[in-house]
Amino acid sequence: MNNTWFLYMAFAAGLLFIGVYCLLTMKNVVKLFIGIEVISKGVSLALLATGFVKKNTLLAQSLVITFIVVEVSLVATALAIIVNIYKHTKSLDVRKLTKLRG
Amino acid sequence: MIWQILLLTGLVVFSALAILAKDLLKSAISLAVASLLLGIIFFRMNAPYAGVFEISVVAGLITVLFILTIALTRAEGDVRESKTVKIVFPLFFVVFILIDVLVMKSLLQKIPALPETAEHGTFGDVLWKQRTFDLVGQLAVILAGVFSVLALFRKKDKNE
Repeated sequence: MNNTWFLYMAFAAGLLFIGVYCLLTMKNVVKLFIGIEVISKGVSLALLATGFVKKNTLLAQSLVITFIVVEVSLVATALAIIVNIYKHTKSLDVRKLTKLRG
Repeated sequence: MIWQILLLTGLVVFSALAILAKDLLKSAISLAVASLLLGIIFFRMNAPYAGVFEISVVAGLITVLFILTIALTRAEGDVRESKTVKIVFPLFFVVFILIDVLVMKSLLQKIPALPETAEHGTFGDVLWKQRTFDLVGQLAVILAGVFSVLALFRKKDKNE
């Protein structure tokens, strides 16, 4: 049992690392958001793997579905914000956002 | 088990491709393939409902939203990423995986997790009866998302 859990959690941690690396190094706003998506894949894998190993698949599934719903509305809002950013600055570079003044 | 490991490896590879690809469209499509693989993994872990949601919503809807955004921002939106980021990535990744494998095993015994008790009932019972409050939260989140998108795309009044 512990070995299976270990395997899934190791892969989930790998996904998390890929996402965090993207967030730390990239400049394109859409790319940064793809990084957040990769992190969320790692999180849902970790949730379901824990439920699978502890024989609580039904509960884990309902938690994963809640997470996916939250993720979708996050994506819709964030992409709308990105389109607005592009309209304002004519660029997707995250560094140009430091020049915005309220 | 071997198939599961292959699928997990594919998931990690396509996720890495999604962040490393130069073209944003290719990144979005790699992300969709990664979601598809994750959905298949869910199916193989006896979680059909989560798999269906992952494939239909994440691989379908979110990819469409991404491609729409990329199409809307394409004209002059190209940003150059530095090349060292892509060259250094495999090195960091290998180092991280080594640390991960060494540390994770000892950590797993200390993490508090769900008690290992057998479940009874169906998926519907768990979702509608045990987690009713979650559903209310989901409704609230969806409404908040709809209103925020409406607010972000509203047309300006003539008086402004």
